[in-house]
Amino acid sequence: MGKQAATKVRAGAKGAGAGDRSTPAPTLRLVVSPKRQQILEGMLEVVGDYGYEAASVQKVLDITDLYRQAFYDSFKDVESCYLAALDFGVGRTEAAVKAAAAAEESWRGKLRAGLTTLLEALEANPGLGRALIVEVHAAGPKALKRRSAAMKRVTDFIDSARDEVDTDEAPPGIAAEGIAAGMHSLVHAKLAAGDVEGFRELLPDFMYFAVLPYFGPEAAAKEMQAAKA
Amino acid sequence: MDSSSAPNPTKATSSDLPRAYLVRSERERLLEAMLRVSAAKGYETTSVDDVLAVAGVSREAFDQMFAGKEACFLEAYEAVFDVLVAHVTAAFEAAAGEPWPQRIVAGLSALVGLLSIEAGIARLAMVEVTAAGEAARARYRSALARFTPFLEEGRDYSGQSEELPADTARFAIGGATSMIFDEVRAGRGPELKRILPDLVFAVLMPYIGPEAAEDEMRRVARGT
Repeated sequence: MGKQAATKVRAGAKGAGAGDRSTPAPTLRLVVSPKRQQILEGMLEVVGDYGYEAASVQKVLDITDLYRQAFYDSFKDVESCYLAALDFGVGRTEAAVKAAAAAEESWRGKLRAGLTTLLEALEANPGLGRALIVEVHAAGPKALKRRSAAMKRVTDFIDSARDEVDTDEAPPGIAAEGIAAGMHSLVHAKLAAGDVEGFRELLPDFMYFAVLPYFGPEAAAKEMQAAKA
Repeated sequence: MDSSSAPNPTKATSSDLPRAYLVRSERERLLEAMLRVSAAKGYETTSVDDVLAVAGVSREAFDQMFAGKEACFLEAYEAVFDVLVAHVTAAFEAAAGEPWPQRIVAGLSALVGLLSIEAGIARLAMVEVTAAGEAARARYRSALARFTPFLEEGRDYSGQSEELPADTARFAIGGATSMIFDEVRAGRGPELKRILPDLVFAVLMPYIGPEAAEDEMRRVARGT
């Protein structure tokens, strides 16, 4: 992952101490070669707008106002650029989600804060969501591997609910995978259908489904109601 | 279509068959060939020429029937899902006297049974399709939605029809399809039956809760 090493994330918010700030999501500044970052962002925008199949170096150049050489200084072709852009976009979103979750104590609090940040990011930029979540399927096996790895990280976080549950009350191991997959499919279906609004409204249902296997129907219903408020 | 069902068995030579029959037969051969070829080599690398060679149909005939490769693929795709849905429906209906969770087990069992026998088709129906463009993905979504009615019967069974989130069926289907997707993509389509207990849990859990879903999962794993 040598390419990622060039990207250092500096979180603007300092976890729990950031409560007095009025900005809803932590701001992130990425320290990276400006041209390279421009290209990565341009690629995500192009793929979000046109789809991976129709993405081209020329479209990225048009959108970024850069010369061809700038692209080929950093990337071999569309695929290698998209893969780097995927890492970049997922990394940035994940950092924001983690920063929001870090401010919370309990698993349920972290889940609510993390999901809220994620759904708000999709609401604010559905094109980015399409580039990361929908078009990844069209970009070949390397991209799909990254998708699986990201899903695994989501699954692992969900399953950390186990730490707060008695062993004999815990659901079977497959529970978290089913939850992550179910949430993913609802988000994916919305993005793929070009439905660009109402991501935030998914939060109550997501809370219900994720809390249910670990804490039971009553706790799940309570979380759902709380998220609706 | 079996040619023995033609109305006049004394005139069974192909040149005497009604024109409409020939056309449909070529169409079916093309659809079948499109499935076989794209299941074997992937949608993207499949060409119309590949399909023509397997179907033994001329380019002119193809052009008369389909606007292009995508149109042919979409129609073939629809036909595959018709078979899948009919198969699952039959299993679900055959268990009509059973409680809802067992009917879901019957339907899921039929689904993974068929997909594991037809692993190439499974790959096409569940994995390739997500890479075959916007129209194909739209078909995929509406195809999956055809399983919704079976799941929604779980609302009444759960006794908390009102409280369950509106998205419950889509969530359950999404969870199950994603598990199938991962298996098939990893080349484990032929052994898909192994994840039947997991699928049972993922589909039932949102409706009947983790404990009852786990009971069903264990029953399926024990094969009882």
